[in-house]
Amino acid sequence: MSTDDNGTPLLAARGLVKAHGKTQALRGAALELRAGEILAVTGASGSGKSTLLHCLAGIVRPDQGSVVYGQERLDQLPERRLSELRRTEFGVVFQFGQLIPELTALDNVALPLMLSGAGRREAQGKAGEWLERFGVRGQKDLRPGEMSGGQAQRVSLARALVTGPKVVFADEPTGALDSLAGEQVMTALVHTAREAGTAVLLITHDAQVAAYADREVWLRDGAVVSEHAQQEMAR
Amino acid sequence: MIGRFRPGPRFFTEDYSLSTYCECILSPMSTRHILLGLLAGGPSHGYDLKRRHDERFPQARPLAYGQVYTTLQRLVRDGLAEVEGTGSEGGPERTLYRSTEAGGRELTRWTGEITPPAPFVTNEIFAKVVVTILAAGDPAGHLQLQRAAHMARMRELTAVKTAPGADLTTVLSADYALTHLDADLRWMTTTAARLTTLTAEVTAA
Amino acid sequence: MRNDLRLAVLLTRGSDRREWWRVTLTALGALLATGFALAAVTIASLQGQYSISFGDGLLNHPGVRSGVILTLLMLLIPVLGFLGQCARIGAVHRDRRLAGLRLAGATPRQVRRIAALETGLACLAGSSVATVFSALLMLRLWNHPTPLAWAGIALVALGVPLAGAVVSALALRRVVASPLGWVRRVRPRTGRGPGVAFLVAVLVVVVAGLGAYASTFVGVPGGFGQVVGFFTGPLTVFGLVIPTGLGAVWLAGATAGLTGRLLAARAESPAVLIAAERLRDDPWATARTHAAVLMVTVVGTGFMGIRQVLLDVLNNSRPGMTAEDMSFYTTGIDLTGAAILVALAITLSGLAVGAAESLATRRRGLAAQAAAGVPHDVLGRALLLETALPLASAVALAGAAGMAIGAWYAGFADGGGRPVPYVALLVPLGVYASCLLAAATSLPLLRRSVHPAELRFT
Repeated sequence: MSTDDNGTPLLAARGLVKAHGKTQALRGAALELRAGEILAVTGASGSGKSTLLHCLAGIVRPDQGSVVYGQERLDQLPERRLSELRRTEFGVVFQFGQLIPELTALDNVALPLMLSGAGRREAQGKAGEWLERFGVRGQKDLRPGEMSGGQAQRVSLARALVTGPKVVFADEPTGALDSLAGEQVMTALVHTAREAGTAVLLITHDAQVAAYADREVWLRDGAVVSEHAQQEMAR
Repeated sequence: MIGRFRPGPRFFTEDYSLSTYCECILSPMSTRHILLGLLAGGPSHGYDLKRRHDERFPQARPLAYGQVYTTLQRLVRDGLAEVEGTGSEGGPERTLYRSTEAGGRELTRWTGEITPPAPFVTNEIFAKVVVTILAAGDPAGHLQLQRAAHMARMRELTAVKTAPGADLTTVLSADYALTHLDADLRWMTTTAARLTTLTAEVTAA
Repeated sequence: MRNDLRLAVLLTRGSDRREWWRVTLTALGALLATGFALAAVTIASLQGQYSISFGDGLLNHPGVRSGVILTLLMLLIPVLGFLGQCARIGAVHRDRRLAGLRLAGATPRQVRRIAALETGLACLAGSSVATVFSALLMLRLWNHPTPLAWAGIALVALGVPLAGAVVSALALRRVVASPLGWVRRVRPRTGRGPGVAFLVAVLVVVVAGLGAYASTFVGVPGGFGQVVGFFTGPLTVFGLVIPTGLGAVWLAGATAGLTGRLLAARAESPAVLIAAERLRDDPWATARTHAAVLMVTVVGTGFMGIRQVLLDVLNNSRPGMTAEDMSFYTTGIDLTGAAILVALAITLSGLAVGAAESLATRRRGLAAQAAAGVPHDVLGRALLLETALPLASAVALAGAAGMAIGAWYAGFADGGGRPVPYVALLVPLGVYASCLLAAATSLPLLRRSVHPAELRFT
């Protein structure tokens, strides 16, 4: 829980504006994520949460504003470098869809390592360890369609964390799960992220999920309802 | 839980924590039934009962020994428990109690009875929102502040339940509290979205 | 029935863009099918000797006409493959919509009728266009068409949409049987074997072809010995090739499955792994188009071999031949070659449509992969490998079969002893390369498909 402003943030966004056709998804959103921090972004549906995550993770380019990760301006990097960043420095977990339906759990987790040049055996070995950490080693030979939603989501977490990323972006990771499975997924995510010192940007509309984070920012109509204002008022 | 909100300063004071919650949950329940339940396993001393109670409900306020003693005496008076014998090896009071047949029946009746859903909800937050509107204040700001306070509490409860080694009793009572706080939050979110209409309605009346 | 029709029209109108693609391409396929069938029927309606000022006298003799008919009917096979591929476009949406209808209380019979009407109407649109143009063309070329020709035309014009309707009603039997299962189902799966409908259709074509072939000999006084003899050999060979089409479907599916299984266990690169696992998971997905590719390869390679030998024979051992005679043969050969090229073109379109459709169906998952940092070129390579891997061995096998035909013909034509026409080996190579190109046409679509907008799961 770092509310002090010392040290440079790991990821900083300023004045983000993004429109999807005629809908204005983001109107000047700004946000900072510090290393190792778990930050929840909440807000009503349509408040621009997912678009904010996409901009921060370099999946889409904002129309205006800047996203700074380390020394790099994500909003200006070429797609090739962005793709590389997402593969090596970031991990993503969506509600569903990030696992390849035809690959086994083991191969799905091994894939990011293979993409970075690891051999199949080596990648599978490391993938097995990560499945173990998330308690789904027993499912290693199953394909996503043959697992329960909670198991698939834990495999997704393993896939997101296997490369040792600095930031994990999670967009409604428990959105398709019942509360018990959701709790297991969140506990696994939070524990592993803290152990590994990975920062997590967690998008959710569920306050009980947001409560796993160190800090919460509230998004309304495409802008962050000022954290400062919240703290001032709390005093 | 919402039904158990006690109006007054207590709700927002510093010691509003997990144990306050569990006390709120447990205190209206009759201690006598809990003691009867603990006696169901076999005869027991008063001190033993207190220890077992505190173990079983770790987040609740510990039972005072005096409360255990008076409750046991009332149980004996009502024929629900009886004295099995008195131990005399050192120590203070070593009276051994056991449940009677009537006590067993009473316990069955109590556990078989469903807990009535709270028939009437005292909602302090709502009252404050309405009053803020009447006093031409900033109800949206108030709700946002309340939200921040609720979220802070929920984070604490989540930390308690995800701490390594947390036992299931702790997890479940934290979950109970979290779910109720979440219900408050949802209500606040929908209320915040409908403040304009509410303001019109309140000020028109 | 009126209400069903209205519903079918409403549903078609309200459906999304991909379903319009299906309707349009289905109509196009029906147009081609009707066109070829009409030409075949019209020629089949001729009996005995004619003098037709068209095609260097190729249509004058019944024996030769039968060859033309057979060629036209064989062109229906790639068209059927193409139509099968088109039926998959937007199939998930269509199946869900129909299952939704079932849930809303429609009887299985109603749903089947609505689906049949949808496909039937698309086919009718295609077949009417083809019929009108064919009729106009025929009136120009042929002063007094016989009633038999007209009857044949009417039969084909109505038969094609009817067949389309029946096939689509049959194909939907599972949707109709379990509406709930199909509403929930996200990923489409092809059946375990080659499509029954496709097999039945091929069988019908074979029977019809043999019938038409036989019918041209009715009332032939005999004595065309030389000409007929010249063509009977190759035609018999082609006739034998058709049953191998049935095997081709099986071969395509089996090689895909086997390649997938073998490679999935050993793959070291992500693209190969993804492609191999997809093949292993659903080897029959592309079996129909791939079967058509194999047929074209066999026929094309065989034809090239035969052509080589035939030209060799014509040029060397028949010095007394006139230029007119020569052009009679070369036109025939060229037209057959053109027919094979047309078949190849249709097959490749089917392949391209299939690749695009497979991409469109998975665009959500692909977008998630891209978001997770899987580079576009890995996804693109996986897409190409899905076509390239199973086709490599299957096309090689088909090329060998076609080569065997050529070699056999070289050994038997004109007393035998001709050199084996190795030139024909270029055909499988060319077919393979063009298949890769056809699959590559969907690569630009990939970039659009992995758009982050697909990540919005709501």
